[in-house]
Amino acid sequence: MKTKVSGILTLLLVFVQFTFAQEKTVSGTVSDDAGLPLPGVNIIIKGTTTGTQSDFDGNYSIAVSQGQILVFSYVGFETREITVGASNTIDVTLKAGAVLQEVVVTALGVSREKQSLGYATQEVAGEDLAVVKTDNFTNSLSGKVSGLQIRRNNNFGGSTNVVIRGTTSLTGDNQALFVIDGVPISNRNTNSAAQAQASGNYYDYGNAAADINPDDIESVNVLKGAAASALYGSRAANGVIIITTKKGRKAKGMGVTLNSNTQFGVIDKSTFATFQDKYGAGYDGDVWTYEDVDGDGIDDQVANYVDDGSYGPAFDPNLMVYQWDAFDPASPNYMKKTPWMPARNGAIKFFETPVTFSNSISISNGLEGGAYRIAYTKFDQSGIMPNSKINKHNFLFSGNYDVNDKVKVSGLANYIKTDAIGRNSTGYNDNIVGLFRQWWQTNVDVRDQADIYFKTRRNVSWNPGSAEQGAVPLYWDNPYWTRYENFQNDGRSRFIGNLELSYDVAKWLNVIGRVSTDTYNERQEERRAVGSVAASFGVTRGDVDSGYSRKDITSTETNYDLMLNFKHDISEEISFAGLLGTNIRRNDFQSVYASTAGGLLVPGLYSLQNTRNPSPRPVEIAEKIGVNGYYASASFGFNNLIFLDGTLRRDTFSTLPKDESSFYYPSVSTSFVFSKLLGVDAISFGKLRLNYAEVGNGAPFDRLYDSFTINDDIGTSMPITRNNPDLKPERTKSYEAGLEMRFAQNRVGFDVAYYKSNSIDQIISVPVSVATGYSNKLLNAGEIENRGVEVSLNVVPVQTDDFRWSLTGNFTKNKNEVVKLPEGTETIQLGRFQGGISIQATEGQPYGVIYGTDFMYDANGNKLVDEDGYYMITPTSNNVIGDTNPDWLMGISNSVTYKDFNLSFLIDMQKGGSVFSLDQYYGESTGLYPNSAYINDLGNPVRNPLDQGGGFINPGVHEDGTPNTTRVDASEFGSFGYAAFPNSQFVYDASYVKLRQVSLTYTLPSRYLTNTFMTGLQFTATGSNLWIIHKNVPYADPEAGLSSGNLQGYLTGALPTTREFGFNIKAQF
Amino acid sequence: MKKIFILLTAAVFAVSCSDNLESLNENIKDPNMVSGESLFAAAQKRLADQMLTPNVNLNNNRLWVQHWNETTYQDESNYDQVTRSIPDNHWRVMYRDVLRNLKEAAKVIAETDYEPTNPQKPNKLAIIEILNVYAYSNLVETYGDIPYSEALDIDHTLPKFDDAMTVYKDLLQRLDAALAQLNSETSFTVNEDLIYQGNADSWRKFGNTLKLRMGMTLADVDAALSKATVESAVSGGVFASNDDTAEYAYSAAAPNNNPVNDNLVLSGRNDYVAAQTLVDIMNALKDPRRADYFDPNIRETIGTVASVSTGGGITTITFTENYEAEPIIGNNAYIPTSDPEIPLKLGVITAVGDDFIEVVATDAEIHAGDEVFYGIYKGAQPGRQSRYVEWTHVNRSMVPGDVPGVLLSYIEAEFLMAEGAARGYNVGGSAEDHYNAGIAASFEYWGTPGLSAYLANPDVAYASAIANSTATPAWKEVIGTQAWIALYNETFATWLSVRRLDYPILVQPYRAKTGYPVRYTYPVSEQNLNPTNYAEAANAIGGDAPETRLFWDKFYTFDF
Repeated sequence: MKTKVSGILTLLLVFVQFTFAQEKTVSGTVSDDAGLPLPGVNIIIKGTTTGTQSDFDGNYSIAVSQGQILVFSYVGFETREITVGASNTIDVTLKAGAVLQEVVVTALGVSREKQSLGYATQEVAGEDLAVVKTDNFTNSLSGKVSGLQIRRNNNFGGSTNVVIRGTTSLTGDNQALFVIDGVPISNRNTNSAAQAQASGNYYDYGNAAADINPDDIESVNVLKGAAASALYGSRAANGVIIITTKKGRKAKGMGVTLNSNTQFGVIDKSTFATFQDKYGAGYDGDVWTYEDVDGDGIDDQVANYVDDGSYGPAFDPNLMVYQWDAFDPASPNYMKKTPWMPARNGAIKFFETPVTFSNSISISNGLEGGAYRIAYTKFDQSGIMPNSKINKHNFLFSGNYDVNDKVKVSGLANYIKTDAIGRNSTGYNDNIVGLFRQWWQTNVDVRDQADIYFKTRRNVSWNPGSAEQGAVPLYWDNPYWTRYENFQNDGRSRFIGNLELSYDVAKWLNVIGRVSTDTYNERQEERRAVGSVAASFGVTRGDVDSGYSRKDITSTETNYDLMLNFKHDISEEISFAGLLGTNIRRNDFQSVYASTAGGLLVPGLYSLQNTRNPSPRPVEIAEKIGVNGYYASASFGFNNLIFLDGTLRRDTFSTLPKDESSFYYPSVSTSFVFSKLLGVDAISFGKLRLNYAEVGNGAPFDRLYDSFTINDDIGTSMPITRNNPDLKPERTKSYEAGLEMRFAQNRVGFDVAYYKSNSIDQIISVPVSVATGYSNKLLNAGEIENRGVEVSLNVVPVQTDDFRWSLTGNFTKNKNEVVKLPEGTETIQLGRFQGGISIQATEGQPYGVIYGTDFMYDANGNKLVDEDGYYMITPTSNNVIGDTNPDWLMGISNSVTYKDFNLSFLIDMQKGGSVFSLDQYYGESTGLYPNSAYINDLGNPVRNPLDQGGGFINPGVHEDGTPNTTRVDASEFGSFGYAAFPNSQFVYDASYVKLRQVSLTYTLPSRYLTNTFMTGLQFTATGSNLWIIHKNVPYADPEAGLSSGNLQGYLTGALPTTREFGFNIKAQF
Repeated sequence: MKKIFILLTAAVFAVSCSDNLESLNENIKDPNMVSGESLFAAAQKRLADQMLTPNVNLNNNRLWVQHWNETTYQDESNYDQVTRSIPDNHWRVMYRDVLRNLKEAAKVIAETDYEPTNPQKPNKLAIIEILNVYAYSNLVETYGDIPYSEALDIDHTLPKFDDAMTVYKDLLQRLDAALAQLNSETSFTVNEDLIYQGNADSWRKFGNTLKLRMGMTLADVDAALSKATVESAVSGGVFASNDDTAEYAYSAAAPNNNPVNDNLVLSGRNDYVAAQTLVDIMNALKDPRRADYFDPNIRETIGTVASVSTGGGITTITFTENYEAEPIIGNNAYIPTSDPEIPLKLGVITAVGDDFIEVVATDAEIHAGDEVFYGIYKGAQPGRQSRYVEWTHVNRSMVPGDVPGVLLSYIEAEFLMAEGAARGYNVGGSAEDHYNAGIAASFEYWGTPGLSAYLANPDVAYASAIANSTATPAWKEVIGTQAWIALYNETFATWLSVRRLDYPILVQPYRAKTGYPVRYTYPVSEQNLNPTNYAEAANAIGGDAPETRLFWDKFYTFDF
């Protein structure tokens, strides 16, 4: 009813507006539906950029003409439009739970009326991100925003890949920029290139955006296209995620909110290896090791303990043999034979139940002339791996104070202390989960490994080097030894803060000065205990049995902004707002990495001085980057119908040659609210938008001139990359068109965007023929194109007084193509991985295709088989065997509210994209999986020797065209997996459909609280990643990976996914 | 309030003006100028490491010549060059880490004013040039046609491949020029030249020995040039004793340790055992070097010591009873020590009786009651999984970190000259002289006693061995087999010898991925980054296959 009336009123008053236009001052109070004043409400004259905010008592006043419409908006509340009538007082009540927010925070923190924007932005309310407590809030954005690709990696405390509208930089940073209350925060990780390429013994140290506490987020606004982010100039190419924190406001009661969340996880078994249960340790089929274990001079039958595979003898529970647990006196089976059978406790029993506790308290209130919010959150999480945990303390203070009518001060201080222990190793070597998935013996019981480790605290492994007592493990440590002795730990102290002064110099001019900083210290410590299997470690990455390393990082970014805001209506029809500003940015990144060498002198002591050999030279990095920017923007509105924006930014870079260090970044955008002309009742809103922008991606530190390397062993060496003294920054040129419509009193709405962006002048370290004496040469060349469609849909199918069902859908399709590479380069290897595959950027292909060996085919597309019955494999690895880019992404969320209950769930899908699984590549060959232990076409176990009816026939044809009928022997290692198949066999479609998030909330009606000290009470049960409804990657989560960054689509030893169940209580006082 | 803004504005602009943006971009942690000597030292180390390492990603020659075999993973013994990108890795180390740094070293040294030691400059530059030839000749011998005239130039990112023979001839000319440039001045210091400590005379011998090898390599393709080159090298003065051998001076501890130490000790892995091919041949010859090449980890007990007496150059060990095992003369006898892995070596068994053995006189402490055993040697079938415990291991004396790394040996020089003499070149002495000298050098190098008995073995003695051989010409088998045994642990030199002489006959590994690799395939990176030139080169050499014989490799004798 209300909407109808206001609709009629609007129509009526639009008419009136053209008739009268007399400016006067309107004032009033804005309050919420509980009658409490709302400070900081945005009040804007519709169709203009003129506006004001309510003060801490909810009071406002604004110069406006009769007939104009005032738009009252406040994050988390429904926006109201009220037409100015004869009265000079307009008191407004805003209803909580906004569906359509009209005012959004845009680049540089400028609040804009959404309908005036000529570019796509999409907002997510903070409460939607805080439902499920993860260690990285960016995971909660998955499926909620079109155009945004989120890929978590399943690593404990690991980094999440956040890419908006596709990859724009071939070798640079493609992570979205995060800006929290005007403080830019890098989402970059500090993981090494070797870590991202699955080299041995590295960890995913996560990325810094994870420090932001979701409980402190009021809203997140995603600036997708170049035009939206254009004011960030040389940092805008990857899109920007604007985070607005919750602000203090006058509260009912004490303004205290307590939030307590407990969550636990259960392994999704479809994401972990399921082993065959017919054969045990070995590689040679039915061949045993014979050694005199008991010393009676007669050789005994012994399980093949040195073989880290399950291609050995068939299980037979009646057969008694010596196994690894017979060799150590501490074992209950010392010198005992045990039945030859599959382990009662398979590898999956190694994992523990992850538990997360998140407790926060916040106090928010208004004072005379200002408001504050203080919040503290303690986050404790234990991981799925034994001995892993993350603890975070997050302190936040924000406040604002009106010094007088004209001068306002506000500030933010956020301190975050994070400590983590026992991140999972992500590489090929020394990775326990990779061990389970690739090199495990199905007869080994992990509980026995646990028991003997906890009993002895020694490295008694299932894989000893010999049957002698105390033998050093051969390839694999006891996994519990690895977790409890060779764990890493890290800690980060971070401060994010800003201070802003705003001064209304005149009615038409406001000046804002802001200084903001993001600074952190991080320490990463890695250790390896004396007595471990030797592995690559420390600064030199030499093989050592023990060691200690530490990396200390300090990183600071400081921004100084000075902005002049102009507001002036040129005429009654034409409104104008302008912006003139300067931004000075300084980044300072320093790190020192040092380690022991040759092992530890004193076992159990982890310090740099405890080194057996002289310490290797530490690696010291000091990088400074400065950018000085100037920017201007002008926004015009014509009759609330057409809006036109232009921006220009000039950036001067420290990282470019002195004479050519300044570049300009322009944008123009327009929006046309055509629904105003249509006057059709059914169409509540209709807007067309168009824009063009050029933005950039600045050059990295020190890419102009060459430096030599001081070697750790001897002498000095030439650099392996030739730098470029004529460097230019990367540039993205982007077009975008969009259509936004809403129907039936906003019950149905959609927003469609089409964009095309071309990123040129790529700063690429181009691999060159190493016969040049260099591995790489730094060039400014090449082009990447991204074209895409994004659709967001909002429907409220049912709405009654007690019941409301709303549905939101997001669809993203981005088509990426490497259009051009430097002259003479057809492909750029982005990363090279174990298994001989590489991920490359190839001209004419999407960014990030997988290269490797492939089957060979005849002219009819049949797979070729050689005369021995094995598949023929391409002799070279330069075949495209996969594309890591998804075809499309979709998220559908439903929210059903009945009285005081709310049920919501999100289905998140990805279509297409490839992953290569090293787990299957090796694991199938080592005989772990059921597909190497099946009953063959003759009705016999496939591992029987050929003369006993075993083996299998590879479907295909010989080179002469005749079908293959040669049966391949599978009685020993060599006929499955990597030993007999090309890489392409292990490339899988990464599509998935997931039930990502479910929550059920009950809000205690306020009538029950009237006589208590409480003002609100809410219970929520949550579930996340509850069900992978569909996937094609066997035994793993298709989203799993190594690290955020440009190399995606490679699986080795990823942690299984857990279904997370949680319970949350929120109480307000 | 205005004041605050004025202050703030001033602060902002103060920051923007006060720091010079450009200076922020300076790398203050790494040098932009270094000495040529430091580049030379690093290049030497990279070269030595690459020549010597048994790392499966870098150098599989010990597997390919069937001296060693892998225990569990057989991809390299099976000739898989693709999975671990061995050709890419060798190419990268040689071009980027060795040759490019040598080039820069020469450039910096040429530009540096060393008052008052400028007279050393020609020596330094000549030494660098000799190592350039060493590295390039290895590339030609390994791949065939290679980038040369357009190589090591970042402005030529698509370097063409030059004809291998043309390159080889040019290298010989460069080598002559460099040898002529060496003078009597000293050059690098001890810490700059880890091979010869700057001794120009040693480098001259090295250059001539390298020339000898290169000349010999050409024997089957250009006999006249081969003869002239070999003879001029010999007359110029090649290595004359083991003291001349080019050895990189490794240190005991990482990172300056011998890469064999890295891979066999520090890695903690048991990846290698002796290969059947080498062990069987040495067993058949009762070759006493087995005790120095291998570990006696497979033991056969002889008996319990009753008494010991030493005299007349022999030690007689008498046992408590007649022994069951029949110790073979020529094997070493050992007694266990407290470390089960390291027995005490008593010496070579020279005579046996019912209840006693005689060994070469030893002053080792032997007590009554000690168990005496000898090592038997069992080599694993190439390409077959071979449990570490079941097969003979590499001798522990080879694996300490400070074992010097041999780049070019006197042993090799003698066998090359033996071959030259057999081919009718004038190398000062007969084929038999040099053959015997080569074997003697090997015995001396490994500290193995029993040379004269070994040389008297009719299967070793030159004349009788030639007479017994069915090969044509017979000397290829005789010299080839002994050279192949003597060049143990010299990786590329051994592989070169086997490919040139085609003896001894190697066996086909179990499930070989290709035929016998007589070359490295071209790196995958060249296929990707330099495709046109790669395709031309592949075509020019007769196809980029591991079985494509290179221009100097005219014969092939293996039956697979």
